[in-house]
Amino acid sequence: MADIQTSVREPLGTRLRQGWQAALKDLRRDWLLYAMLAPTLIWFLVFLYMPLDGLQLAFKQYSAWKGIDGSPWVGFAHFVTLFQSEQFLRAVGNTLIISAYSIVLAFPVPILLALMINEVQSQRYRKAVQTIVYLPHFISVVIVAGIVVAFLSPTTGVVNNALEFLGLDRIYFLTRPEWFRSIFIGSNIWKEAGFDSIVFLAAIMSINPALYESAQVDGASRWQMMTRITLPCIVPTIAVLLVIRLGRVLEVGFEYIILLYQPSTFETADVISTYIYRQGLQGARYDLATAAGVFNAVVALVLVLVANRLSRRITRTGVF
Amino acid sequence: MKKTIVPLMLATLLAGTVPAQAKEPTWITDKPLTLKIHLHARDKYVWDENLPMSKELFRLTNLQLVGTASKTATNSQEQFNLMMATGKLPDIVGGDSLKDNFIRYGMEGAFQPLNKLIDQHAPNLKAFFDSHPQVKRAITAPDGNIYFIPYVPDGKVSRGWWIRKDWLDKLGLKEPQTINELYTVLKAFREKDPNGNGKKNEVPFFDKEPERLYNLVNFYGCRATGSDASMDFYVDDNGKIRHPFAEPCFKDAIRNLAKWYAEGLIDAEIYTRKNRAREQLFSANQGGMTFDWFASTAGFNDSISKTVPGFKLVSIAPPADINGRRWLENSRADMRPDGWAMTITNKNPVETIKLFDFFFSRAGRNLQNFGVEGLTYDMKDGKPQFKESVLKNAKPVNNQLWEIGALLPIGYWMDYEYERQWTNPAALEGIDMYTKGNWFVPMFYGVNMKKEERAIYDQYWPDLQTYMSEMAQNWVLGTKSVDKTWDEYQARLKASGFQAVLSAMQTAYDRQYGKR
Repeated sequence: MADIQTSVREPLGTRLRQGWQAALKDLRRDWLLYAMLAPTLIWFLVFLYMPLDGLQLAFKQYSAWKGIDGSPWVGFAHFVTLFQSEQFLRAVGNTLIISAYSIVLAFPVPILLALMINEVQSQRYRKAVQTIVYLPHFISVVIVAGIVVAFLSPTTGVVNNALEFLGLDRIYFLTRPEWFRSIFIGSNIWKEAGFDSIVFLAAIMSINPALYESAQVDGASRWQMMTRITLPCIVPTIAVLLVIRLGRVLEVGFEYIILLYQPSTFETADVISTYIYRQGLQGARYDLATAAGVFNAVVALVLVLVANRLSRRITRTGVF
Repeated sequence: MKKTIVPLMLATLLAGTVPAQAKEPTWITDKPLTLKIHLHARDKYVWDENLPMSKELFRLTNLQLVGTASKTATNSQEQFNLMMATGKLPDIVGGDSLKDNFIRYGMEGAFQPLNKLIDQHAPNLKAFFDSHPQVKRAITAPDGNIYFIPYVPDGKVSRGWWIRKDWLDKLGLKEPQTINELYTVLKAFREKDPNGNGKKNEVPFFDKEPERLYNLVNFYGCRATGSDASMDFYVDDNGKIRHPFAEPCFKDAIRNLAKWYAEGLIDAEIYTRKNRAREQLFSANQGGMTFDWFASTAGFNDSISKTVPGFKLVSIAPPADINGRRWLENSRADMRPDGWAMTITNKNPVETIKLFDFFFSRAGRNLQNFGVEGLTYDMKDGKPQFKESVLKNAKPVNNQLWEIGALLPIGYWMDYEYERQWTNPAALEGIDMYTKGNWFVPMFYGVNMKKEERAIYDQYWPDLQTYMSEMAQNWVLGTKSVDKTWDEYQARLKASGFQAVLSAMQTAYDRQYGKR
């Protein structure tokens, strides 16, 4: 007690020196751990923190020749342009709608899949199912888009052949705005659900088997074990993944949309990232594209903070 | 001490790579001179001083160009921006689609104005601009200066109308001469089963670029575009800038296209089939007519006739429109937005402009169009002629030339003869017919806008363009009725700054091309 009292009264210089020495000692002892951390830290610095400097482009009239620092400031002019554009606002709306649908419809699928895979008794069958549902994840979106176009072709596509067989009209799906979201979300589920279920499967594997054993002794059915043990045990995992997912709510798979959309489906398909692509990169307007990116980031940050707070309140877990 | 030694050593090393050579009449300088060039084009080609073409250029001019662009990068536009952003400029910058950048950064002081240099040191360029004033106007910046030398294509023809002659013969029809006959022919293709498989699966008109379907509005006397690009502005007879998709005429025309589409005369899948449409539909014996480039389309006669017996694709003169006039919007531009410019840090402007001039002289054009004499071509009767081995090679001639470093999009004057020598006879027939017919309407080369004009254009045009293509597609597909939505469409254009864009462009146009 007395020791602490005196050390607090030490002058600042001494305390700093002591802190520094403690840190050095720490570093010497665990240098291997710090060395392993270093690449990640460097990666963060180089690829995430240093580029932050470029965000000032959002407030400048960018000229590559004058450079980022030499370009003149224009204040919020780019943001005004964006918010005066009906198409940008439409893109924001579309992004939110597609994301909301994805979360409601696509987010639960891997959880269900993991639960179902977990219930499969035969090891062989289970391995086969897992391989089959993981596979689409490894197909490039370009190929997936090609498959979708071929399947939905109004003249030769399987889907339209089936419709005709049932006595229904053929539909040129990819030019119909009302179909775009279903096609986009549906094919995304097919592509990613299997791979996304890995995390949930891992969470299920880490549940203490003793819980199931005692439940069995008490005469619980498989259904009861699933709803009373498995699900509650993976709720924290679900919550964390949901928070992360909400943070990416404005990032909708942009290459895939570019490959599937048409002017006639822009009404439902044009999202912020495709809008940025058309305006910013094709038109080489980096400043405007940066402004849209900054807007994107701010909204995402707010959403993550809100989601995290909700998650902490409801499930007592959060990302931070 | 060390600091001075390194550059010295480098200099001696560089000097060591420059061998003394025999003087040619085309030499630009007596002392060998090395210039640095950033040239990254079409996302894959870079200037490489080790290629035969670069070495031959050095032999002919005593000027050695050393490339500075990354050979592994795959995005030319990005490479250009990076190079500009570093602030370390080479002596020369070149590549494709750089016109607006050259003009913008030229006015900001990154590139040297060339007008005086051309007048004093570049007789070939001067003569060329005197005989092609439209090219000179098209590249002149709003401040009156010329900042770059463009790539100038040669020849008149780009795309033409192609039709299945064997189908016409089978159905006892003649090549359509008017819009009405064209309608009859396409209708017959659809109804009368020319491919004889008992199914109504013929696709009368299709195109690998969906936007080309709007070219069909030409037959209703309306414009679809002002240049070889789709959906471009055009200039009317009174020198006024207009956009085809906003003209009253377009309403009737697009209503008719919607009718054609509903009747199955236009490929139902035209918006999603894209790049390989010709391969797919011709080899399946389903496609009847298309609008496309001559050389590549004529080539299907050779490749498809093996699998589809009797396959015969011919080019036809554009059928006359409802006013009885034959015409065509697509021709080969007199100028591409490609080329090269000299940077403000270039210490040898006179030698550089002479180099630019060289590629508008006979010797320079031969080098750039035909490659290296003795390697890819020989002189016959004073004219360059590709070697048999080059023409007979399985690789297309242009690919072979790319490989030795020729044909890069620097500022040069194409020689149509280069293309003619390896174009197949079926295509040549069509090209000659179109050239003789001379049905082309004048092209719009775009305007070079001042900062304020550009700001207005940038603010409104991208949204307007998206909206126009959205509506046009909905009309053709029949998802929106032309009659019900046309007024709303016009009102929305008006409310979204369409007039402001037109008048900004008009101001730029009047300044650049002269008020009429």
